[in-house]
Amino acid sequence: MSSRRPFAEILKWILFVWIGVIIWAAFFYAPAAAGFKGQSSRIVFFHVPVAWVATLAFLVSCVASIRYLKTRSVADDIRAEVASSLGLLFAVLATVTGSIFARIMWGSYWNWDPRETSITFLLLIYAAYFALRAAVADPERRASLAAVYSILAFVTVPFLVFVVPRIYWSLHPDTIINAQAKIKMGSHMFEVLMGSLVGFSGLFVWLYTVACRIETIRRRRQQEVL
Amino acid sequence: MWRYLAEAGAVFAKDMRTELRTRVAFNALGLFAITTLAAVSYTIGPYRIAEADRPYLLSALLWIVIFFAAMAGLDRSFVKEEDSHTAALLRLSARPLVVWGGKLLFNVVVLDLLMVILVPLYVVLMGFEVRSITGLVWILLAGGYTLAVTTTIVAAIIARASSRGALFSVLSLPLLLPLLIFVIQGTRAVAEGSAGGVISALRAVISLGGVMTLVSIVLFPAVWNE
Repeated sequence: MSSRRPFAEILKWILFVWIGVIIWAAFFYAPAAAGFKGQSSRIVFFHVPVAWVATLAFLVSCVASIRYLKTRSVADDIRAEVASSLGLLFAVLATVTGSIFARIMWGSYWNWDPRETSITFLLLIYAAYFALRAAVADPERRASLAAVYSILAFVTVPFLVFVVPRIYWSLHPDTIINAQAKIKMGSHMFEVLMGSLVGFSGLFVWLYTVACRIETIRRRRQQEVL
Repeated sequence: MWRYLAEAGAVFAKDMRTELRTRVAFNALGLFAITTLAAVSYTIGPYRIAEADRPYLLSALLWIVIFFAAMAGLDRSFVKEEDSHTAALLRLSARPLVVWGGKLLFNVVVLDLLMVILVPLYVVLMGFEVRSITGLVWILLAGGYTLAVTTTIVAAIIARASSRGALFSVLSLPLLLPLLIFVIQGTRAVAEGSAGGVISALRAVISLGGVMTLVSIVLFPAVWNE
């Protein structure tokens, strides 16, 4: 496989080195931010990128769902399903890393802070997406109903990510894109964070393409068995 | 436009006639709401909540009763068409958007009727002090509409699923959670007499309702013709 896709193989190794450098930089290049307990601020280099990738994955799922409703191509259904499952995985990772930070800073893993509440709702919405897929037996009907639900689900994302946290008072530190549109972060930290965002986005692209290929093979096998 | 409204009105009138014949949705919503209200009123009552917590807790309880009552019956509009095998005939005799409009109108009317009976009872039994009746009416109307528009498209989705069971609640509740936050916040502002809070919540509810309406108009034909 690797000999047939040399460019993809090179990109994979670049990604591997890039993520390694980001992990090193997160601990040894960027300083710990002032106003946070101990080294806890370093989690931002992992927490923000996984939350970003979760949102990106849900966007990809929405776009693939729109495409499916237009083209009725199985490949688009596979893309939507895979993107949703990766979005769910990265949302869980964002929840876990956020909880670790909350335990260190506020003394409790869970505080029902508006951002914690929003991510929980997102997890529930995309878990419901998979519940719907499991409830429909006919593959074509499953794909189109899931596509509709995926678009409906994505409509709630801006409300959960941007509106809910601004209606309620939050313990959460200021976001990168804050209400004043100012970056309150040292230059070294900002560089590592941006590098991490690029690295995690690359990781998502790699996982997404591999998972799409696996799912295509799985469905082909399933059809052959039937 | 007038022709569309007349056709949607005809679908609504048909649904109302069949509902008055069987009263399945009316009984489910009404009895669920009254039973839940009786349970809440008996266990908590008007005096067991501290004065400072009353606006928030009573607002939350009111909307939880309304939401769960809605879950008990708002799926009927589409499920009954599939159960009684009349969906195919409806597909032949009316355009998708006409069906959607008629069903939405039916759900809005059923929900508003429920709130007309439930909310005064709740106010009396729970000793819920409302400082702005106009504000409460606006929150109930906007919240009721957004609840109805979201559940209408979800009801259309689950009616096409092979195993329905608890799927309606599983798919609807996560999508409705942002709305639940906004309406509770708005009702709390009504109880506290904060006009700014009511307007802020109304903006969020109307935005969500507007987006859900537009998305439903675009997506409903894909679900209905599936």
